[in-house]
Amino acid sequence: MAQADARREQFSLQGKAALVIGASRPVGRAVAVSLAEAGADVAVSTTTRSQREEVAANSCANEVWALNRKGFAATIDAASEADVRSLLERTVSELGRLDVLVNAHDLPFAKPFQEVTPNEWRRVLDVNLTGVYLACRAAAEPMLSQGSGRIINVVSLLAERGMVNGAAYCAAQAGVMNLTRALALEWARSGITVNAIGAGWTEGMAFLANEDARRQLERYLPGKRLAQPEEIAGVAVYLASNAAEYVTGQVVWIEGGALSHV
Amino acid sequence: MGVLDKLRLDGKVAVVTGAGRGLGRAMAIALAEVGCDIVAAARTRSQIEETAELVRTEGHPWPGRPPGRCLPVPTDITAPASVQAMIDAAIAEFGRIDILLNNAGGATEGMGKPVEQVTDQEWRTGIDTNLSGTFYCCRAAIPHMLQQGGGKIINLTSGFGLRGGRDNFMYTTAKAGLINFTRSLAMTYADRNIQANLIAPGLFPHDNPAMVEWWRGGKFVPMGRLGRDEELGPLCVFLASDLSSYMNGDILALEGGGLAGGHAPTGFAPLVLLEEEA
Repeated sequence: MAQADARREQFSLQGKAALVIGASRPVGRAVAVSLAEAGADVAVSTTTRSQREEVAANSCANEVWALNRKGFAATIDAASEADVRSLLERTVSELGRLDVLVNAHDLPFAKPFQEVTPNEWRRVLDVNLTGVYLACRAAAEPMLSQGSGRIINVVSLLAERGMVNGAAYCAAQAGVMNLTRALALEWARSGITVNAIGAGWTEGMAFLANEDARRQLERYLPGKRLAQPEEIAGVAVYLASNAAEYVTGQVVWIEGGALSHV
Repeated sequence: MGVLDKLRLDGKVAVVTGAGRGLGRAMAIALAEVGCDIVAAARTRSQIEETAELVRTEGHPWPGRPPGRCLPVPTDITAPASVQAMIDAAIAEFGRIDILLNNAGGATEGMGKPVEQVTDQEWRTGIDTNLSGTFYCCRAAIPHMLQQGGGKIINLTSGFGLRGGRDNFMYTTAKAGLINFTRSLAMTYADRNIQANLIAPGLFPHDNPAMVEWWRGGKFVPMGRLGRDEELGPLCVFLASDLSSYMNGDILALEGGGLAGGHAPTGFAPLVLLEEEA
């Protein structure tokens, strides 16, 4: 029993401080709540200043508080260097440290390629890819100075595969996936692990808004169903914990077998 | 020498397994059209005789060259002795082997069955044909390639070598095995001028009719159609030529775009605009 407790203890995030950017979306929210359930204090933010995201981030913070964890919700533009910098500073000052950074940036966008304007292209890349860069860079200071840290980037199947109308979003996602590997190597001896969670088609994703397409997709998937956001979040607890100290540069897919499909 | 001249393979000798029909025959003819002499290996004599005739009439199609040459050798790819005899016959006839195209194989044994229903016999025959046969051919041909200072090995995998398939066990396993077998060939012989690569063809019309039917004749391929035999020939020529001399252990898929997707049904095309701008 004592041994079992010790094992369990390896996964505990008690005393750790986490920041989840993009907790205003289903997967980010589920990750934030799971980290809090595992004992971490969790700050959350939006990826854009949209009102809908602000409401969602606030409700996520409420769930964190309901678990008796410290935290706050911030409304930011994840593509703004100033916003990201002050978010990181606020996290360290309110939670006392920063152990885990989750980049669940998600600005969904899908449009026929020839209709994508340069401004839309830049915006999608700015938020989804450059936003992750800005957050990692801002997290570098506290993490490098304390000699430990966990960075977890959330990507989707679209980091690995294409999609009609998805060029900008797919490019950004693939960028985050390989940024993960590059940064993992760069910080491999600094006590910071950098991993990605590759989320499958998950309930609540903006790309699944069309009911017909969604039903068709469900039939197509090997297990005939979408993921629940909570099913994606579990591995974040593992990656954030002391148990995963030797895991870095990995993309952990949670996609119900979709990538096995020809 | 210009880039197109490098696609002339005059006087090179290519061993093609499974050359009696379908893609194997198409690739044998394509190699003959750029100047190769062909060793056509397959089980059925009448079929490789036919291929040989096509090579003789369609090979070397430019003035001043003798007609195409082709040696048909009935071969059981699953029998090491038969494979060795085929390679010996190739050397006896042409004196060298520059290109080994391991095309023999097929999605037949035990297909369409859940794993608990696949028999020992189906599994062994399937793996022998699709995986071990390529090993036997490489083992017999590589010493000649080493002796003559290099060579080209082209192995045939499939989208099913990279991904899984429902009720598809022997074939996915064998084709995946070929991929890593080929990478190890690349690692082993890279410094001795042998390049080993893979072609992953998609669905072609003469494939297993049940499978063609299942794919609705190509409706679910992003390009909306099956592959054409004549589309595979040029890729095979490229991989057999010096244009691919730095390509080693790699896969080139010719399959109408299916592998770019696969995570969602073909035609899945959501529309999501930026909230801020909307």
